Amino acid sequence: MKIQNSLSTLLLTAACLAGCATEPPPPAKAAPATPAAAAPAPTVAVAPAPPPSPAAVVNMISNCYSCHGTDGRSPGAIPSLTGKNAQQALLQLKEFKSGQLAATVMTRHAKGYTDAELEALANYIGTNLK
Amino acid sequence: MSKITRRDFLKIAGAASAAGVLGYASTARAAEGGKGAARVVVIGGGFGGATCAKYLRRLDPGVAVTLIEPNTKFITCPFSNLVLGGLRTMDSLTQNYDTLKKKHGVNVMHDTVTAIDAAGKTVKLKSGKTLSYDRMVVSPGIDFKWDAVEGYSEKAAEVMPHAWKAGPQTVLLQKKLKAMKNGGTFILVSPPNPFRCPPGPYERASMVAHYLKEHKPKSKIIILDAKDAFSKQGLFMDGWKKIYGDMIEWVPGAKGGTVKSVNVKKMTLETELDKHKADVVNFIPAQSAGKIAIASGLADDKGWCPVDPKTFESKMHPGVHVIGDSSIAGALPKSGFAASSEAKMCAAAIVALFKGETPAENSLVNTCYSLIAPQYGISVAGVYKVTEKGITEVPGAGGVSPKDAPDSFREQEAKYGAGWYASITSDIWG
Repeated sequence: MKIQNSLSTLLLTAACLAGCATEPPPPAKAAPATPAAAAPAPTVAVAPAPPPSPAAVVNMISNCYSCHGTDGRSPGAIPSLTGKNAQQALLQLKEFKSGQLAATVMTRHAKGYTDAELEALANYIGTNLK
Repeated sequence: MSKITRRDFLKIAGAASAAGVLGYASTARAAEGGKGAARVVVIGGGFGGATCAKYLRRLDPGVAVTLIEPNTKFITCPFSNLVLGGLRTMDSLTQNYDTLKKKHGVNVMHDTVTAIDAAGKTVKLKSGKTLSYDRMVVSPGIDFKWDAVEGYSEKAAEVMPHAWKAGPQTVLLQKKLKAMKNGGTFILVSPPNPFRCPPGPYERASMVAHYLKEHKPKSKIIILDAKDAFSKQGLFMDGWKKIYGDMIEWVPGAKGGTVKSVNVKKMTLETELDKHKADVVNFIPAQSAGKIAIASGLADDKGWCPVDPKTFESKMHPGVHVIGDSSIAGALPKSGFAASSEAKMCAAAIVALFKGETPAENSLVNTCYSLIAPQYGISVAGVYKVTEKGITEVPGAGGVSPKDAPDSFREQEAKYGAGWYASITSDIWG
């Protein structure tokens, strides 16, 4: 069940990477002049690390709330985490990690997580943060 | 009160458990040998303690949480430098405990802990009350080593404010800054490691410079530092030069920055190499874990509290967890963000332990914004995991803002810094 879910997420992401390159809009400014060759778009790879447990995901996501607001609802200038489905969230997180999507701190944060962790976070965002 | 005291009950429960006839394993903390709602007492209502109290209740509303904090209002150290820069009011930094009480069901007691009995699992309060707990969280922030430099003391702080605990000291320093003559010398004494908020002294110099540039542009700032390097150093120094020219001079330890003595009457400071005279002195003393942590035997001989990085449980006293500035949290800095992150992990671990479960893997994060000028923000970020070496930074992640970023990037970080303040304070006290 769980494996099927994550597999379908990966497939959807693959489709999205191929077919909807223009969405979602980046929250930060236009990308700095990072040559595409220096940061090639990762092809969707099956992460070797095991997926984190549900309680570990709750631990991870809780840190996001310090900047993005409790349950992802930001009261200030930092974008909220709500209103995204898992596929959109995963695409953004992976592009922060690769540097394709420009940001102030998110490019630095996203590199701290395995692909499996980013996928679990994206699923949590899509499922629980409304 | 029941005729069976809690201690008697524990004996009975323990005996029953040992005999294998304990029949009510469904209660949340049966695995820890208790009955009814598990009780957590949290000491300190700052970034660590208030977060822990709220997140304990969020994660398990069945846990009874008592938060003990002497003050009814909490003034945040983060953003208090902006008061000196004239960009924030003290009111805008003032948090309260109403939402923790009303919305999250935290029992907030405005009292002071005078003693912790870790063996008996009780705390004594100044009011005379004694509270029992199943687990305790200690988050008392920092204390100052008042006698580390000759001539400085708690009394001397009325003349040379530290302003390193936000409140009346912040107001006092601002008053002195406002009274300073144009062309005066402001000396900031930066403390030795480890200390609360590593980029803080340098953001403070920036905000004082912003005020002086606008109101007293002939003035000078000298930072006398015990250290030879500091957080976000390159970014600060580039920003200072760009915005304030030569107004800020940094004297590192190797070049005579370590202050050996001060004279509050003459307003002088002596280093190994020099004697400085100032119009205003901001003296930030060397630091240790909070008073109650030291008095309770939770600290090591260096004055900070060793903890299990997975649960933040004290290595000195089982059943007591230490979070925030007082704890030794590996690679994590002593920041409000880190304290809040530690608090969330500690809350999750406590809830798991009450259920007899192994705590889930920790994820620890830090993000600190500093303001060099109103439209010029910089940041440092880090992602941390627990490894066999303790809490270590995930390699390849985190780091400081790019060195050669355009003005628009600094503006965005200034904006996000303000956004961070709004978010984290509502995540903790809202």
